[in-house]
Amino acid sequence: MDRPVLWIHTEALGPANPALLAHPGRPAVFVFEPGLLEGGGGPISLKRIVFLYECLLELPVTIRQGDGAEEVLAFAARHRADGVVTSAWVDPQLGDIAACVAAALPLQVLVPEPFVDLPEQVDLRRFSRYWRSAGPRLLPDPAAPETPT
Amino acid sequence: MTSRTPPSEPAPPPQTNRADLPRQFPDRGAMVQDLAARFPLASGGASPIRGGSKPALAALEAVDPVRYAASRNHLGGAVSGLSPYIRHGVLSLAQVRDVVLERMARGPGLVSEKLLQELAWRDYWQRLWIRLGDGIWENLEPLKTGQAEAAYAQELPDDISEGHTGLACIDAFARQLIDTGWLHNHARMWLAAYVVHWRRVRWQAGARWFLRHLLDGDAASNNLSWQWVASSFSSKPYLFNRANLERFGAGRHCLGCPAAEDCPFEASYEDLQTRLFSAPQGGGQASGEQGKGGAV
Repeated sequence: MDRPVLWIHTEALGPANPALLAHPGRPAVFVFEPGLLEGGGGPISLKRIVFLYECLLELPVTIRQGDGAEEVLAFAARHRADGVVTSAWVDPQLGDIAACVAAALPLQVLVPEPFVDLPEQVDLRRFSRYWRSAGPRLLPDPAAPETPT
Repeated sequence: MTSRTPPSEPAPPPQTNRADLPRQFPDRGAMVQDLAARFPLASGGASPIRGGSKPALAALEAVDPVRYAASRNHLGGAVSGLSPYIRHGVLSLAQVRDVVLERMARGPGLVSEKLLQELAWRDYWQRLWIRLGDGIWENLEPLKTGQAEAAYAQELPDDISEGHTGLACIDAFARQLIDTGWLHNHARMWLAAYVVHWRRVRWQAGARWFLRHLLDGDAASNNLSWQWVASSFSSKPYLFNRANLERFGAGRHCLGCPAAEDCPFEASYEDLQTRLFSAPQGGGQASGEQGKGGAV
């Protein structure tokens, strides 16, 4: 991918956005899509939009309103891009947009540094079980020797 | 042949398009007015809490794991206010983790890991969202209240969403939610318990209300916390009483409350369980200590 555009979404509105760091200077877009962040409960309040907007104004990003995938693809066409770069998401709504984008153009997804590295099948039935795995990885026992003897 | 090449070609000259949203405004008021016109379905005004990395870094700079651990359950406690910035990736969880670990190492003796654990709660909720997808909108387990699903109302009553229940604490929480888009985690739990247990409303209705307003609104942290209160993701329903609210509520609510003489929260946990639930709960209610993570 030589001429990508960057798709910035609601989970990565900071200067450490992996796509912005990997491709400084490339055109980037954010889309306010109807239904964004709603969870089916009706439109989000204006204060949430203002908050997102204030984050966006700090980033070198074009701000659009409309269907997420259509806008990202139109933005790519406008810049004669040969692909789209974005960062990993959790919200399935973003996954739906990403799937539509990927059906039309190569999509590269950059994964930010995790909070803690855990096996994929870690037990998530209760926080206490998760913490049994995560805690020692975050807080190694200070009394333990640095290398096994 | 081996010289470094940039990851991609430089950007073409900037092009503007009439449908691009504006990036320059005379002031915040003008921006809010412009956005209100562009998003006519979005209710209310702006929050005093601002977006962007400057306020985020200021909040991060102020983080104190020792004071946090000592006071976090109190409405006036030294909570970080980082949740809106973490939720939207203005700060990454890894970045905040590093600051917290560094300050814990600097602290006197053994510093509580409570703040680190609160960050871990967010990571935990996110991992569950990846695993469950839209399943986070369904009960993960049966309710332990002894009430049938059908006993819970589908919609949130207007007096709650408009802050007119006549209960000073509940109305104050609702107004803070609507006006600022942020609530202390303990206030979220009290409000959620009132909605689900006292008013017997489905947790999903409350969760949708919160998502409309919370600046850190995220279906994973939000819904799974509501499920924790409701008891579809915990071993028993979360309850509070007046003594708990007075102890942690910074003395803000009961004085002058129109319902103070007939307070629905003025009871022992045993009495409340009998009054609100039809299933034996066993083991008494947990004290006022926050049992799960939400806003950091």
